[in-house]
Amino acid sequence: MNILRFLQTVDRRVIYVLLMLSVTAPFFLSIRLPMRVSPATEAFYSAIEERQPGDFVLLAVDWEAGTRGENGPQTEAVITHLMRKKCRFAILSFAPQSPKLTQDIVERLGKEYHSVEGVDWINWGYKVDAKNYLKGFVRDIVGVVKTNNKTEPLTKFPVVMKGIKTASDIKLLVNITPSSVYQTYLQFVAGPLKVPMVVAPTSVMVPEVFNYLDSKQISGMMPGLPGAGEYEGKLGTNTKVTRFANSASFAHILIIFFIIMGNVAMLLERRQNARLGGRA
Amino acid sequence: MTNWLITNADKLTLWVGAICTIALYSALYKENRFYRLFEHIFLGLATGFLVAQTWTDVLLPKWWKPMWDEGRWYFVFIAIFGAFYYFIFSQKHSWISRIIIGFYLGVASGQAFQVYANDFWPQIQASFKPIIPHGAVTIAGKAVKALSPADAVNNIIFMVIVSCVMMYFFFSFEQKNPIVKSSAKLGRWMMMFTFGAIFGATIMARLALLIDRIDYLLNEFGAQVFGEASGPKIVFMMLLVLMGIVLYLAFKKDNTSPDEGT
Repeated sequence: MNILRFLQTVDRRVIYVLLMLSVTAPFFLSIRLPMRVSPATEAFYSAIEERQPGDFVLLAVDWEAGTRGENGPQTEAVITHLMRKKCRFAILSFAPQSPKLTQDIVERLGKEYHSVEGVDWINWGYKVDAKNYLKGFVRDIVGVVKTNNKTEPLTKFPVVMKGIKTASDIKLLVNITPSSVYQTYLQFVAGPLKVPMVVAPTSVMVPEVFNYLDSKQISGMMPGLPGAGEYEGKLGTNTKVTRFANSASFAHILIIFFIIMGNVAMLLERRQNARLGGRA
Repeated sequence: MTNWLITNADKLTLWVGAICTIALYSALYKENRFYRLFEHIFLGLATGFLVAQTWTDVLLPKWWKPMWDEGRWYFVFIAIFGAFYYFIFSQKHSWISRIIIGFYLGVASGQAFQVYANDFWPQIQASFKPIIPHGAVTIAGKAVKALSPADAVNNIIFMVIVSCVMMYFFFSFEQKNPIVKSSAKLGRWMMMFTFGAIFGATIMARLALLIDRIDYLLNEFGAQVFGEASGPKIVFMMLLVLMGIVLYLAFKKDNTSPDEGT
């Protein structure tokens, strides 16, 4: 087969195998590619860094197992930072799997940072109908949330709930999401009450979230997995996300290589056909 | 049996996770029954989880307990009112469902004003950017940051692109004027760049999910099942063999088309 034709008709399974190799092999390499912290992640970090011990942060997590690869490390980085700063925080979710997935991370990190459920943090659990829920939530948090995820009344947790009546008492809103729920928080909580808000979206959403960052409707953004890696760099934790960056870089190089080779082969073949008098 | 399950629960979980991962990625070779089975298992699990979670976190504390334990009997009307939705399946009584649909349409229309005011208005405001460099000043008691020449150039680029993209969506008259025509064309090119960026970001997101699963296979499943030191390498070897089989099948002469289903 002509090499130019071959490059345009590579079996997709061959590409998948090469992609798999380019993702897997870097796990065994000791090299670490340099990572630069973007201004968006820097602003996200500052928004939490500026908080005082005891400040109340709403941790709105809306991801499920399907996007664990990106939102999981983001959640881990944010919770580590909140626990280091000794901020109180509440978990709230409009995705059914999120409260459990986040609780697992919080419990694991809580052992390391001596953070106690019901004192330093609370899980408000899964809620439905974001718009209507948040309409009531902003005016009367205790009356609307009522219980934690174990159906215990919020009045049982006076330490973590101290001084929290309306959404104005929230010092920072952190939304970790693979969906447009961040817009609902912006429209019904952060926008009208001027509550500072930061967003950790998946990479797919990054171009659209930049609009909100540019208009200063949100204070910072942690863009997908690369953002989580940058954040870990700031925290100095360097766990698995830093390893992930190598795999992502190698895979990107492979994809770019195939895009260039495929297009170059197509152009060369067209020129060859034109020279031979065939269809260009 | 129960004791064995309890003792080996952690290892079983790891094995199930690994098998599920391989099963779902097997669709990359071609559509197959193994993949379909696990896809249905995932759908069933997610739906079951949703129903259970909605009951425990929403309906039980917010509706059932107040109605049953706190004597708020009138909460029963919420269920009746909500059940109106189901009349949509009846040709004769579908008008009943329109009552509740109309109610929600009204609520949503009212909310749309707030949505617009808090979502889009600040963005429109932020689109008006200064384009002349200046030092830090105070206007009406409000401090305004200095604008460097580089920032001014950025703002000019931003304004030009916004204008061109808006021009592209201007359909009130035929775009015959050369200025209108060329700026609309530039707007279209700019949107193409944006779509490219979105597509690139999508690839990055999907890769992140793949990397997470590979990390699970190597460093969670491999390390805990086959040992911390050699486990990841053993799983890597297994993956290499799997990749070899895929390549062999892909190049086998009598292989059916990869697009053929089972």
